[in-house]
Amino acid sequence: MKIQDLQTREENTWCPGCTNFSLLNTVQQGLVDLVNEKKIKHKDIAMASGIGCHAKIFDYININGFYSLHGRVIPPCLGMKAGNPELTVIGFGGDGDTYAEGMAHFIHACRFNADFTMLVHNNKVFALTTGQATPVSAKGFVGGSTPYGLKEEPMNPIAIALASGATFVARGYVNEKEHLKELVKAAVMHKGFALIDILQPCLTYNDPTDYLEKRVYKLNKAHDDSDLKKALDRAMEWDYSLDKKAKIPIGVFYKIKKPTMEEQRPTLKKPWYKIKRRLGWQGLIKQFQ
Amino acid sequence: MEKTILIGGKAGQGTNVTSYFIGEVFSSLGYYVFNYRDYPSLIRGGHNFNVIKVSDKPVFSHTNKYDFIIALDQKTIDLHEKGLKKNGLIIGDKDLKAKRNFQAIDVKPILKKLKAPQVIENDIFIGWLFKYFGISEKFLMKELEERFGGKKIGLIKESARIGYKLGKETEKFKKLGPQKYFLSGNKAIGVGALAAGIDVYVAYPMTPATAVLHSLAKKAPEQNILVLQLENEIAVANAALGASFAGARTMVGTSGGGFALMAEAMSLSGMSETPLVVYLSQRTGPASGVPTYTAQADLKFAVNIGHGEFTRIVIAPGDPQETITRVQEAFYLSSKYRALVILVGDKHLGESDYTFDTLEKSSVNSDRFIVQNPAQNYKSYKITKDGNSPRAVPGQGPVVRTTSYEHNEYGNTTEEADWVVRMNDKRFKKEKTIIKEINKLNPIAVYGKGENLIIGWGSTKGAILDSLKSLKNYRFLQISYINPFPADLVKKEIKNSKKIVLVENNATGQLGDIIAEKTGHIIKNKILQYDARPFIPETIIRKVKKL
Repeated sequence: MKIQDLQTREENTWCPGCTNFSLLNTVQQGLVDLVNEKKIKHKDIAMASGIGCHAKIFDYININGFYSLHGRVIPPCLGMKAGNPELTVIGFGGDGDTYAEGMAHFIHACRFNADFTMLVHNNKVFALTTGQATPVSAKGFVGGSTPYGLKEEPMNPIAIALASGATFVARGYVNEKEHLKELVKAAVMHKGFALIDILQPCLTYNDPTDYLEKRVYKLNKAHDDSDLKKALDRAMEWDYSLDKKAKIPIGVFYKIKKPTMEEQRPTLKKPWYKIKRRLGWQGLIKQFQ
Repeated sequence: MEKTILIGGKAGQGTNVTSYFIGEVFSSLGYYVFNYRDYPSLIRGGHNFNVIKVSDKPVFSHTNKYDFIIALDQKTIDLHEKGLKKNGLIIGDKDLKAKRNFQAIDVKPILKKLKAPQVIENDIFIGWLFKYFGISEKFLMKELEERFGGKKIGLIKESARIGYKLGKETEKFKKLGPQKYFLSGNKAIGVGALAAGIDVYVAYPMTPATAVLHSLAKKAPEQNILVLQLENEIAVANAALGASFAGARTMVGTSGGGFALMAEAMSLSGMSETPLVVYLSQRTGPASGVPTYTAQADLKFAVNIGHGEFTRIVIAPGDPQETITRVQEAFYLSSKYRALVILVGDKHLGESDYTFDTLEKSSVNSDRFIVQNPAQNYKSYKITKDGNSPRAVPGQGPVVRTTSYEHNEYGNTTEEADWVVRMNDKRFKKEKTIIKEINKLNPIAVYGKGENLIIGWGSTKGAILDSLKSLKNYRFLQISYINPFPADLVKKEIKNSKKIVLVENNATGQLGDIIAEKTGHIIKNKILQYDARPFIPETIIRKVKKL
């Protein structure tokens, strides 16, 4: 398979130079690799997106797709696995989408551990609504709804995912393309819920490129990604603020094996649409007597 | 022959289990039974009661005049004694106090001797009651064994035997005929869903829909279905759409508050044309309202749920038998037309037990309506003559898309005026096709021959049918398909009637409003009850006669 097979001819409406172009291309390359390595099949890949700039990716990537509602990326992903466990499911969400409107789903997805990947386009801003603060925006952020500066401190989605029982927790940086591609491949192949929080400057409303470039570093083999306490320590190295002293680790914080939602449900073995049911009437009503 | 028995006590004292057992025994003897359940929202204490009517003729409602009151506490007597018939009997422990007709049983020494917990007293009363009715001890023991079994069965049988010995045979209830089917509306939802070939049921607990979640969860392994409880109703509805997109026959169940949270996803089902069946079991609102009681106050909410213009198919069955076939129809219409179908029930229908001579299933097609071997250039939203686009699912081969945005035939986003119009036209052309189908599914039913007309929907069917026996000059028009509304059929019935009376379990007459909107006919005579309790026939008869 070539990358062209995952492209569409839809007119792209992201801003010129938007980091989403790079993110899209990286994900496509990762998927092409996995298909060519015969680890997944093109026909079985299914994505869901929320609503926001990130979500336009629905139109630009040639795979099965569910363009859902704002904040609701995760439930359809979980639902697709419940409807057909053979699908390779990838959710694309924004930071506002996932950590504001959809926070309950995010926490519970970590707990359910259904086998899908969640890629969060984290530009730390609501962009398509013209620049408001999200739960991960830095204190002091100036936007349409916070003209005098955001009063709250950001939340730390990596720490939240770890505390909520997620089995694959990673952070990527959109400008580290090769590194991000490998993360995407590892997340897609992980059995269970896999999160990659992808740091992604928004050139129009929130561009901390300089800040990130100076501080991002890659987790290497010295980090034990099977140790929750160490993962939490790494997660706490950066609180999503603009703290000048911070170091920002990217890579896999934590990765363990746990039974997935599907594995723990014996009736969920194959796509339902392939199951032919014999609907015996007398036997059925007897059961309810 | 007709007997009405009230059983009352605190929550946890087993009123529901006991009345259900009495109902089962009579239905297995071939009698018709109706079992009404009344309980507040608490787990221990308070006041629960059941009213069980037994008859040799079909019966679909309860009453407030009792032949027997089985009192498990003093409150039962204090609250219900006024409803005891002149020759009625109150049965209870000798320490209770009643003004009249009290059959006291000295329960405590028996329980002490048997080393039995308090709840076993119910079985002493059961024994006493069945002796009174002249039902053989052998038959009673067999029924107890079949229905209860388990560790305590020895104790249950022993105490029932003691009660039986204390009783006095006064009447002779013979076996009337073959066993009747005895089931509630909520059980019927499960039967109908399984008969329709459900794959996935997703829910968050909410009275009075919870029983469906429980029974399907229990039956999941043997029926090979998946039952999921998720974090909230928003997740439930959106995950259900994901499962449906992936090819599963999917249903969700909830009550008004949960349904409100699902509103946005209902709109998503409409735009994305993703099949979904929703069971809305109404309870008394607004807000938390009177959570374990009944109402018909969410009809206009169901008909209008979700933002934007799209087809919501709304079906309101009137009894458990009809519930079974309507659930099958719901899956059929939903799968075939990639549509949202809302089944509107309520606490009264869901949690009352009814008897039927036979149970029929619907003959509608139980196909999944998924195309075999879709072409590589498959269009998820192909514009067709009847507005219905063939359905493929991910994994079959071609790329399949579903979307909340306005879209072209491939499901790609568009904001062009031309496409917005074309897709709206497509969706409403599909509605016209659906209306043709609905006309074949008996969207209304007319009972009786009178020149006047009572109009109702949903769970009032039982009380209205039973009141017709005393209202010979009335017919009953039951409307089961509320949306799209069978306006022509309803107009015809209205035109052919002298006096029109609307009967609804709400404060404003919501079906009346819909009839006015769709037919132009404004119904002036309204019998509305909104005390969170269901109608009994006596109320309808009294109020109709006053008109």
